[in-house]
Amino acid sequence: MTSPSLLVARREVIQRVRRRSFLIFTALVAIVVIAGGVLAAVIGDDSTTSYDVGVVSAESSGDEFVSILTNIGTATGITIDTTVFDSSDAAAAALKDGDIDVLVDVGERTDTWQRDIDGQLASLIDTGWQAWSAAGAARDAGLTDDQIVAILAPDPLSTTVVDPSVDDLAGMLIGFVSAALLFISIATFGGYVLTGVVEEKSTGVIEVLLSHVRADQLMAGKVFGIGVVALLQFSVTVLAGLISLRISGIDVPSEIWIGLPATIGWFIGGFLLYSTLFALAGSFVSRMEDAQGAAAPITSAFTVAYVLVFTVGSDPGSVATRVLSIIPPFAPLLMPLRMVTGAASILEIVVAAVLLALTVVAMIRLAGSVYARTLLHRGSRVTWRDALRRPKSLAD
Amino acid sequence: MVVPTGQIVGFLGPNGSGKTTTMRSIMGLVAIDRGFITWRGEPITDHIRHTFGYMPAERGMYPKMRVREQLVYFARLAGSDRDRADAAADRWLERMGLTDRANDELQALSSGNQQRVQLAIALVHDPELLILDEPFSGLDPVAVEMMKALLVEEVERGVTVLLSSHQLDLVSDVCPDVVIVSQGRIVLEGAVHDIRNRSPKRYVTATVGAGDVAAFETPVSSWDVVTRADGVLRLSVPSSCEVREVFDAVSAIGPIVEFAFAAPELSEVFIESVGQGES
Repeated sequence: MTSPSLLVARREVIQRVRRRSFLIFTALVAIVVIAGGVLAAVIGDDSTTSYDVGVVSAESSGDEFVSILTNIGTATGITIDTTVFDSSDAAAAALKDGDIDVLVDVGERTDTWQRDIDGQLASLIDTGWQAWSAAGAARDAGLTDDQIVAILAPDPLSTTVVDPSVDDLAGMLIGFVSAALLFISIATFGGYVLTGVVEEKSTGVIEVLLSHVRADQLMAGKVFGIGVVALLQFSVTVLAGLISLRISGIDVPSEIWIGLPATIGWFIGGFLLYSTLFALAGSFVSRMEDAQGAAAPITSAFTVAYVLVFTVGSDPGSVATRVLSIIPPFAPLLMPLRMVTGAASILEIVVAAVLLALTVVAMIRLAGSVYARTLLHRGSRVTWRDALRRPKSLAD
Repeated sequence: MVVPTGQIVGFLGPNGSGKTTTMRSIMGLVAIDRGFITWRGEPITDHIRHTFGYMPAERGMYPKMRVREQLVYFARLAGSDRDRADAAADRWLERMGLTDRANDELQALSSGNQQRVQLAIALVHDPELLILDEPFSGLDPVAVEMMKALLVEEVERGVTVLLSSHQLDLVSDVCPDVVIVSQGRIVLEGAVHDIRNRSPKRYVTATVGAGDVAAFETPVSSWDVVTRADGVLRLSVPSSCEVREVFDAVSAIGPIVEFAFAAPELSEVFIESVGQGES
């Protein structure tokens, strides 16, 4: 015999995934996210750091300048395409047509810009010029190629930061995006749990259900089933995001490989916590109109957690963020940000995860016992106080 | 209160007398403060409850779920495996004449058809005991007859049925035995026939072709006029009364078109006994 919770979960998954609104919404989100990537690829083509440099060089020594310049580009992650011109007239024409961003005449020792000087490119060219000139001077002085390399490209310093300040823009961005994604997903699917419970009460189907399934099994199945649907949609969105990044040509920041699993992990914890509470709130009311009112305390706490991400969270290393990110209702939204930016220690993560897990277990226990009594209650709304304090009076 | 296995028992009483609470407690939906409930001599466990079918007074199904899926779902919740649930769902759809609606959403069905689905949900896992809370309420007369016929069939197959109704007289033709409650207590129980005949009263209904019914005076002091209007006279007389004696007395008004001498209906017995209880 299949476990009742699994049967309940299975029904939730099938009924929800099949709904046209779910399919449309999921597809729409994926399309918007991917379209963003396509847009970035189209618009961003000019703004991506890639330059065309024209080099006028009658002698072969100009080739060495070209190769130095290209190497500097590679080292700094900037693409520098070079075109070597025999005559300065042809080069000037190319500059005028916009085929090249800048014209460097090795023999004349000039660089020529059509309109504005691009600071980044100018400094790259300066660096290249200095290196090339120095190499030339060194060679004239009779140094060997190895000696020249030793002078121009010494072994780099090994760098240590004793107390790094958290100033990880990509990390912050991924943290904020993941918090927004978590907020939307938990609010949406927690809302499904809420309305799902109220629907079963308002249609009266709850009585038939409870004649075969225990209240806690019913709740577990519902939360689990909707959770699976949520993860499914979440995965589609994330996948679309990755495809979008790929299309856009933007380098995928390495933080994302911490951010993704962290977001999914905290999503599971956060969803379990909040949807259990939403299920409880749903069991207090018999009409759909009252559902939002009953869930208001949870929605408020959740919104506060979200706002905290953007206020307190913008300094992931601060004491306030540190403390809040460990407290269960706030942890699911704040901790991914701190993990991505590298501000959270392993100990903090473990403590936050354990606290959240314990709270989830406690909430499921509490909900299981209150739920059975409040589910059959009809008519006026049960208050949180009634539900927790006067257990017997509800079973009327 | 005892429901003999393989029989159909009517559980009657006015609204608010505790019928639903009793049925819910059998289904484990409410905890009982005192007393105990057993099935075949054993306390009822979750496992035993899977052999019960329940139709609550507040009808309840998923409006947006397909009809056949609901049947399969509830059959499986009650412990049937997938194959059995599928087969049972098809069988009940066929029996309820809903095979062509199997893949429609429930909300697309008429309320009469929804009632059939609700009953099928109670029956889909082949229960040994059926608990039906107000099964006839909201049904049209044709549907009531269909439901009664179906219940009789199920009882013939060996199913035990407990059904409640606040309309006491509606169930007397399908339930040979009844339990009547009022304010949480059993007031009357036993065979409908016995309960009615045990009454110290008989009711006489006479339609008179001519003459003034309103002028009728009871010749015996133990007779009471219940109503007299539009040529119809209704009397309440002691059960010891002879039919002929009453017939002759009423004939004095004029020619009798219709005459009935019968034990009181269940509802009348109920009102009598509740009245006694209060006095």
